[in-house]
Amino acid sequence: MRIVQVKCPSCNSPIYSKQRDQLFYCDKCNVLHTRNGGAEKLDFEIAEFSGSSSGERVFVPFWRLYCSFIIRSKSVEGGHVFRLMSWMKDEDGSGTLFIHIPAADFDPSTFKRLAIDYTVSSPKYRSRLDFGGVRRMPAMMSREEAVELADFVVVTMEAEKPGVLQRLDYSLTVNGSKVVYLPFVMGQSGLTPAL
Amino acid sequence: MADISVGLNCPACGGAVSVVEGESTLLCPYCDSTLFIEGDQGVTTIAFRNKVNREGAMKASRLWWSRGWKARDLKRVGRTIEVYPIYLPFWRAMTRVAGWICGYEIRRHTDSKGRVHEQKVPKEVMVLNDYRFSEIATDPGDLGIRSLRNFSGETSFADFDMIPTFEATTSRDDAVARAKSDAQSRARSSAKVSRVTMERLHVLPRRLSMVYYPVWVVRYTYRDRMYMTTVDGVTGQVLSGRAPGDPLFQSLAITAGTSVGGLAAAVGIIMSSVAAELMIVGLLAGGIILYITYRFFRHGSEIVEGEFKNKPASVSQTIKELQSAARTLQEAYR
Ligand SMILES: [Zn+2]
Ligand SMILES: [Zn+2]
Repeated sequence: MRIVQVKCPSCNSPIYSKQRDQLFYCDKCNVLHTRNGGAEKLDFEIAEFSGSSSGERVFVPFWRLYCSFIIRSKSVEGGHVFRLMSWMKDEDGSGTLFIHIPAADFDPSTFKRLAIDYTVSSPKYRSRLDFGGVRRMPAMMSREEAVELADFVVVTMEAEKPGVLQRLDYSLTVNGSKVVYLPFVMGQSGLTPAL
Repeated sequence: MADISVGLNCPACGGAVSVVEGESTLLCPYCDSTLFIEGDQGVTTIAFRNKVNREGAMKASRLWWSRGWKARDLKRVGRTIEVYPIYLPFWRAMTRVAGWICGYEIRRHTDSKGRVHEQKVPKEVMVLNDYRFSEIATDPGDLGIRSLRNFSGETSFADFDMIPTFEATTSRDDAVARAKSDAQSRARSSAKVSRVTMERLHVLPRRLSMVYYPVWVVRYTYRDRMYMTTVDGVTGQVLSGRAPGDPLFQSLAITAGTSVGGLAAAVGIIMSSVAAELMIVGLLAGGIILYITYRFFRHGSEIVEGEFKNKPASVSQTIKELQSAARTLQEAYR
């Protein structure tokens, strides 16, 4: 077991932080990286807060996975509408969608709610270049874990439609990934989106 | 699982930092440097500090002698001959399971006219949970220890020079595979879907560590026979042990077992005037009860607690077997 100081792979500045995070951000050169064997730079975006949001601001990291799917068959007891339909391009049951996986350490129910909400309707935002001194929630989930959970999100979307899901035969492929920091406000009732 | 830490130093400022088990990143509390742990395939090794001394181990062992259905003169006649500590290696893992299990269950209900109706109730169950797993990383021999029960305590390698250490001999990949299958089967049973039509479970290993845990071995004799107990070096609790059983209790239990078995057979014969199959069921019940009683007490001269490979039938296991035998008979009778 050996301990090393984390340095930016781009400018070699040490990364200082007050909170443990799997994603390392260099504010000198605006580079985000992670360590998985070696240092790996990540593609990322930061969404602008809406003007009206008041309260304690925080950026929440998400893995945005660009996925394609093919549905072969499905059966539901007492219902038939299904959600993947809205992303289907062809009659053959294939399509593409963005799956959003919250990367911060959330309890299972918050994790599920955020993942479903942002996957069902992809967030629209103007992006900004830096965090502007706003706190970032630390990421606790690797991209590999997020890819595993993409399937969970798809099945959850289908199961939460009316009726009881009995079978879903489909395949999902992750074609690309990006880290997206989405704006939230910490209130008394928890996290509120501030897009 | 933030309850374990190991002392190390910050490479930037030299300050003492503590590593949370299984975590790959940490922060230096003095210079705010972000630090990364380059471990052996992401495995953190920790050791628990031994908190029990020789006297404590002997005391825990003697206390254990006087509990349960052990020989009543064990405390007077038993002689401790050897007491020593060892470090045992364990794999410890935290695994997250996320997914869905869909299917249905069949519910039966009887209406006022006595007709049985079957109803198919569809189910969809989400699974999203973290599961903890531990398993010994060496051949435990006759110690009766296979998994860890305690997960918190002071950690330090300070006792490593004094206490003999068992080498880890099982592979990391095997441990991860078993942790995954353990988490998966626990997730599956928590969903309680009896007929599964679709299962999509994702098993994500989150943390893996090698834990060296102090255990005291106490060997003793009772009427020229050797027995042993093991004592947890952190909590002071008895982990496993073998002890002579109480002869009086055994003979009482055998008498009870035999009479219940005989009674079941007798009832069967009396009832046979009503229906021939009742006699067969009764005889069968008697036979099974007698056999289980015999099987238990053939080894019954010894009381065994812990996770042994070839464990003689325990009291609770015997009761479970009797219950399942009763259930089988009930169903056969129906
Ligand atoms: Zn940099
Ligand atoms: Zn430091």
